[in-house]
Amino acid sequence: MFLELNRWPKDAVAAKDDSGQSATYGDIQELVHRMEDCALPRSVVFCLCRNSVGSLAGYLALESVGMVPLLLDAQLDAALLATLDAEYQPWAYWMPSTAVQAHEEDILLRYADYVLVRTGHDTSPLHDQLSLLLTTSGSTGSAKLVRHKQGNLESNAKAVAEVFGWNTAERALCALPMNYTMGLNVIHSHLYSGGCVLLAASNLMAPEFWDFAKAEEATSFCGVPYSYEIFRRLRFERRGLDSLTTLAEGGGRLSDAAFRWLAETCAATDRRFFATFGTTETSARMTYLPPELALEKTGSIGRAFPHGEAFLVDEEGNRVEGEGELCYRGPNVTMGYAQCRADLERGDDFQGEYHTGDLAQQDEDGCFYIVGRKKRFLKLFGLRVSMDEMERLIAEEFQCECACGGTDKRMVLYVVTDQDPELIRSFASQKTGIHQSAFAVELREAIPRNEYGKISYAALEEANAS
Amino acid sequence: MAGNLERYSQAFQTALGASEAELGEGYSFAAIDQWDSVAHLTLITELEDAFDVMFEPDDIIHFGSYLNGIEILKRYGVSFED
Repeated sequence: MFLELNRWPKDAVAAKDDSGQSATYGDIQELVHRMEDCALPRSVVFCLCRNSVGSLAGYLALESVGMVPLLLDAQLDAALLATLDAEYQPWAYWMPSTAVQAHEEDILLRYADYVLVRTGHDTSPLHDQLSLLLTTSGSTGSAKLVRHKQGNLESNAKAVAEVFGWNTAERALCALPMNYTMGLNVIHSHLYSGGCVLLAASNLMAPEFWDFAKAEEATSFCGVPYSYEIFRRLRFERRGLDSLTTLAEGGGRLSDAAFRWLAETCAATDRRFFATFGTTETSARMTYLPPELALEKTGSIGRAFPHGEAFLVDEEGNRVEGEGELCYRGPNVTMGYAQCRADLERGDDFQGEYHTGDLAQQDEDGCFYIVGRKKRFLKLFGLRVSMDEMERLIAEEFQCECACGGTDKRMVLYVVTDQDPELIRSFASQKTGIHQSAFAVELREAIPRNEYGKISYAALEEANAS
Repeated sequence: MAGNLERYSQAFQTALGASEAELGEGYSFAAIDQWDSVAHLTLITELEDAFDVMFEPDDIIHFGSYLNGIEILKRYGVSFED
């Protein structure tokens, strides 16, 4: 059974959500049996996720019976969902029952607030090792997916559980979406250890979120840099969450000031702070900084998790010391990408090794620091947004020239158009599902290009600075 | 100089893309889809800048609607009388 969930007492609570639902390990096993009885043909199932017991239990059962879920946000843009559906032709959907418009005979199974619904698509050939599909985080409207193989998720769950020392007493406060690689890893690592996951659908700014955390005596939390900006503003250390003793961060670089604040606040209040680093391509986490080093190594992502190896390479791909592109080898490295349905038959492209595109330095203690980026993407509110993709989307939608620049705080869209900049801004926000304050639009007379016709980004940003 | 109510509404327009006509009794955290945590923090920052105040954490959390926010700001000495 997936994550060896059947090791735990049947009456132990595995998941609770902030709408008041809960499921025991026994309930999940029973759902697995019910799903086995459906004799589903091995195929792709789209899971329209929210952080609820029904959503999670169904996903766990689908994994256990060998289906291949693609986890998507239940709020996903309808046009993007239609594109994905047409390309990957899922055999069924696991989705909120309130959103279903289907004939009764197409509903195969019901559990809590979710149903399994048959689509009209046939099964497609899948690679034997394929186990899960996720969008590359912060996807910009493309159908590009990351192909996970058997064992990826379990190996990362085990490594994280081992390092964090999770046990059956843990109660993880899960506010990151379950369809986001790190949010999923937080869930897996706790369930692998027999703990309980507290699924919060309410947002960090809502009183309900803090009431839930307090009432359920959460013991750990994992957030992106933005989560901690909120924690800081709300002075979480004074909110009476004495049970909350482990805080972890990932999904983007904390500013040095925020890192220091978190390290100092945790040290002063007897909490552990883990800075971690991961990607969807590595089934979440690659490295972590041990809490005892947090005060002294501001901004570091630490060292590789057990069973993995992190190293640096130069432009030619040779291993180097000091500074280079951060690479990783380990059992959690996925198989590669899928851009279309035929790719679901592909074998292992990565062969256990992933090159992150991030430039890093390594100090004398072996701890890594991210110092820059080789590839063109930004991390807005912890979500990765490809600048090349965004340029393509805007050019297509508005029939204009577009070039992207900016920082992780704000993506700048340079466009040559006479259309309303606000329309472009809200389009970018809608396509990514990221708040529009993360985008700025700059109207330009022309996009600077070099002699080969390639966009000159340096000239673009320079003109912006002057 | 713009009146306080106008500046208050302007912050909602900036942070939430709200139209002037929408802003009133029914405009709340629970009712408005775009009002997520990111929009919320943007709104709080806009208001703090506009009125030169610094909200207490509990007021940030309970800032749940357009009307309720006016009551909170009054406690920080912002007047909405003409």
